Amino acid sequence: MAALLAVEELSVGFDTEEDLVNVLDRVSFDIEAGETLGLVGESGCGKSVTALAVMGLLPKPAGRIQGGDILFRGDSLLALPRERMRTIRGNRIAMIFQEPMTALNPVQRIGRQLAETFALHEPGLSSDAIRQRSLGLLEEVGIPAPDRRLDEYPHQLSGGMRQRVMIAMALAGRPDVLIADEPTTALDVTIQAQILELLRDLQRDTGMAIIFITHDLGVIAELCSRVVVMYAGRVAEQADIHPLFAHPLHPYTRGLLDSIPRLEGEPKTPLTTIPGTVPGIDDLPGGCRFVNRCPFAERRCEGEPPPLDALTAGHRVACYRWREIEADDARPHPA
Amino acid sequence: MVDELCQGALSFHSQMRHDMIHAACSPPPITMTSYFVRRFLLIAPTFIGVTILVFVLTRLVPGGPIERMLQEAAMAGGDFTSATSGFDGHGGSTLSDEQIEELKVYYGFDKPVLVAYVEWLGKVLVLDLGTSTRYNDPVWDTIRDRFPISIFYGVATLILTYGVCIPLGIVKAIRHRTAFDNVSSALVFFGYAIPSYIVGIALLTAFAANLDWFPLGGFVSDNFDSLSAPGKAIDVLWHATLPLLAYMAGAFAVTTMLMKNSLMDNLAADYVRTAIAKGMDFRRAVFGHALRNSLIPIATSFGNIITLFLTGSFLIEKIFNIDGFGLLAFESLVERDYPVVMGALVLSSLLFLIGNILSDICVALVDPRVKFGSGESAQ
Repeated sequence: MAALLAVEELSVGFDTEEDLVNVLDRVSFDIEAGETLGLVGESGCGKSVTALAVMGLLPKPAGRIQGGDILFRGDSLLALPRERMRTIRGNRIAMIFQEPMTALNPVQRIGRQLAETFALHEPGLSSDAIRQRSLGLLEEVGIPAPDRRLDEYPHQLSGGMRQRVMIAMALAGRPDVLIADEPTTALDVTIQAQILELLRDLQRDTGMAIIFITHDLGVIAELCSRVVVMYAGRVAEQADIHPLFAHPLHPYTRGLLDSIPRLEGEPKTPLTTIPGTVPGIDDLPGGCRFVNRCPFAERRCEGEPPPLDALTAGHRVACYRWREIEADDARPHPA
Repeated sequence: MVDELCQGALSFHSQMRHDMIHAACSPPPITMTSYFVRRFLLIAPTFIGVTILVFVLTRLVPGGPIERMLQEAAMAGGDFTSATSGFDGHGGSTLSDEQIEELKVYYGFDKPVLVAYVEWLGKVLVLDLGTSTRYNDPVWDTIRDRFPISIFYGVATLILTYGVCIPLGIVKAIRHRTAFDNVSSALVFFGYAIPSYIVGIALLTAFAANLDWFPLGGFVSDNFDSLSAPGKAIDVLWHATLPLLAYMAGAFAVTTMLMKNSLMDNLAADYVRTAIAKGMDFRRAVFGHALRNSLIPIATSFGNIITLFLTGSFLIEKIFNIDGFGLLAFESLVERDYPVVMGALVLSSLLFLIGNILSDICVALVDPRVKFGSGESAQ
């Protein structure tokens, strides 16, 4: 059976002053109903572009799909006429964003912004019914006194409350897929935990699939069942959550995991980091894009980009030297 | 000068307005109503400050109605040498010292400046603006006679500016960096860069003097009273075309670019992306969400529309020979017609001050985030 949502060999380019630069290179992953997939990577690695491409929200006219396909229930979203895409966007596939402070229209009441979603996807719903449904949604996402909140403006709510409103809006059409683009990055840690719990509960109740975009592996560990690690517009490694954390194979994944401060580590030692920064999109290395930061890099890494090898059915890695790294891992480490 | 003084008061007040907005998050729990009541009460001291300043200036600068009268008397007597001397009664004046004293009493120059000011203010409070020393008519009548011209040009420029700038700004924002955007920007800035009186002279030379398509000046034709109603309307518009173009040439740039930039900011805002992510089409997201919010900066000057009673640029009125408010204010200064100077100041400063408050009310109405002097902060 086809996956609920499948991204296949998706390539996206952006027009710059000089020419078209490739920001997403043959990215593939899929997701089933009820599953939570994590997309992880540093800023600028293409996580958000992937999400926007799935939503059909790539910035125009600069962004364009160069190749590949996005299949929703087996149908290509890229081939859909615009009107049909609008019935899917916000309804079957919904999205929440990083900045709850600015994601809501500051001069419209919460109720009106919620009602808009219903009006778009279920025309003919009476205003009473819309209000009832809105109240229900706000309650569902854990907003106290929803009756009063409907008549308030976004600036009267806290960041966490606004993100709950965003989630309520995304849930209005009972979507099959929810794309959450760093929904907790702008929030306090305690609020972050509440929002993650809310998403987990909602998923349990509704059975929707969640694509969770973050740079925080801690959040991934808490929420996701599978992870796609992205680097500079390519998939570096893709695996179920346990194998990824237990046996990371791509040097980049290892670098990310090593960069997490650990309780059992030696106190007051320098934090491990990955040297350098993600290369700019106009300045990408020819072969493996991680080559200039990779401790394992060798000659051939600068030639052809490494293919995505399948270690098992679910675990794939794009590195020429993953076997050596795995063998190295298997050896007992000196304590 | 009257206008410039009021502009000073205006910028002072808008500065205060911004301070108030920024102070909105600080504690003192004052309601919006009491904020506006306080703003209205502040009109009185501001008004006294502005008028006292100009009143004192009229006493300090050389020249005045008496000197003008002496000049006229001297000119009439053929004694040109005394025309440039002061009004100290010497230098072969044709008027005796007693006559000059009488004139001083008549014009109120015999009293100390503050006493005279208080007397003047007392009359203003009972709506008596005095009598023009030039026309010997009541000041109010002199000013009121210009209202039809001011209101006509005020309303016409208002309609044309908003009617052209807002749609133009919207199209430019949506088609940012296209040929249409670039060409219209060039035209708008070209008009902005040329002083309006140069535009006026150029238009007059080209279309009135050389081509004879439009009249050389005036507000209406001499035979206006004998025209039919539609004829009158056509006559007014025929006379107004060139001056309006001169007024508008520079007026487009600010509002158009304000509209364009404001809309572009809002188009790039996250909440527009949210609206589209909800399944809304781009067009509805623009008109339903971005446009309304981008009109907020334009609404901040909406209350000042009430000053259109006093619309009139001295230079354009001079070029097109329109007997409007700008010319009146300027000539009253040159002619030292102080009652008219003060009368114009009273009207324009009051309208500016009230206009500022109305603008604030407009802002509070369209933007729920604005809470002037309110202690209720966003929680």
